[in-house]
Amino acid sequence: MGHQYQAIQWNKNKVQYDIAIALFALLYTGVFVVTGLQPSETGNTPDPVVLLIRAFGTCSFLLLTFILMIGPLARLSDRFKPMLYNRRHFGVFTFLLATAHFGLALMWYHGFGPLNPFVSLFVSNQPGGTFPGFPFEVLGLAAFIIMLFMAITSHDFWLNNLSAPVWKALHMMVYVAYGLLVIHIAAGALLTEKSPLYPALVLFAFLIVAGLHLLTGLRERGHDRLRRALEDKGWVSVSAPQDIPDKRAVIVPLRDGERVAVFRDGNKVSAVTNVCRHQNGPLGEGRVVDGCITCPWHGWQYRMEDGISPPPFTEKIATYNLKLMNGMIFLDPVANAPGTKVDPVLFDQSVQRASENTEATVS
Amino acid sequence: MDETILLAVIAYCLAGIVISVLFLLFGIARADHAAKGAGIAFRLTILPGLIFLWPIILGRWLSGRQINQDIHAGDNS
Repeated sequence: MGHQYQAIQWNKNKVQYDIAIALFALLYTGVFVVTGLQPSETGNTPDPVVLLIRAFGTCSFLLLTFILMIGPLARLSDRFKPMLYNRRHFGVFTFLLATAHFGLALMWYHGFGPLNPFVSLFVSNQPGGTFPGFPFEVLGLAAFIIMLFMAITSHDFWLNNLSAPVWKALHMMVYVAYGLLVIHIAAGALLTEKSPLYPALVLFAFLIVAGLHLLTGLRERGHDRLRRALEDKGWVSVSAPQDIPDKRAVIVPLRDGERVAVFRDGNKVSAVTNVCRHQNGPLGEGRVVDGCITCPWHGWQYRMEDGISPPPFTEKIATYNLKLMNGMIFLDPVANAPGTKVDPVLFDQSVQRASENTEATVS
Repeated sequence: MDETILLAVIAYCLAGIVISVLFLLFGIARADHAAKGAGIAFRLTILPGLIFLWPIILGRWLSGRQINQDIHAGDNS
């Protein structure tokens, strides 16, 4: 962490991650083009430029599919959480591949006519295809523009200058871009290809992304319902402290839509808002490192007891009061002001459940 | 009509280039404390965004509002 912006912050893990993505793209493109250059049964050999355009486009789509799978996978299993760490570089790399696809396609299909290539892109369609006049290229362009705005605002400078809610709303547009790309590739392939391979692959990728999001949503909805059923008039039942994984959290949804992360560090339990000050990241999916709650997205840290970042940082998040009663943690749904110190709930790790009459109150 | 739209986009981007360069040279440190003294690589990294989103940044620059008196730049790339 530092006080000044840097262009790109790489570390050993991020460099390895980035190299792996680049190698995959290189390998994919190479195999795609070499395989495509083999003469077909009719003796026709596809144009290498066309193959390159398709290789960049499909590789970019595959990477975007993978990026969109990371979020729900990380919610379903902790094993996928490390992949959240470098999603920003992953996204920018995907955009660079999309740019190569767009640039080559624009030059190849629209660069040799009398019209300006950009104008040509809008006014020309594919007559004689399955969907004559269907503007599949314009859909691709719309997706590209969304990805462009996401890529150029990926630096923290933009997060701070656009504000977190605006920045997040802009970056949620990735789902719109993905939908446009699904139609772009499926329709484009139907216009130019006889093989159902492209539409089938796109449909398969789309179903995986949609299915994972649906599965995660249904699972979280089930958990939320169960928890809401436990709510009484004021305090919210959380769980037995022993049931919270050590150095981890359980996320408690409140009636007003807020989510609270209840962390355990050994025999201590504390609660803070689930929303990181940085990019609204899900703190409850992070872990406790050196006594500090650490956001899974970019590693921002907050002390468990008061929600303040360790010196020299001064960011503050809201804390919540907890109570241990009859072996269960209860949560006061009213948030304290950011940075308010709250002594952690202490519990005896040697017993599976606290005794019936034990009550440790934290204020 | 299409050509007119294209020309408007080009004009918008040209204005963006001019304002972005001025902002990077003279305005950025005043508008955002975390950018004070940041290197040329950082400035080039945010340049494409400035070219497209220059009205937002120009508004902030002219209003004199500052952000990041004490930034927590955990992962800025």
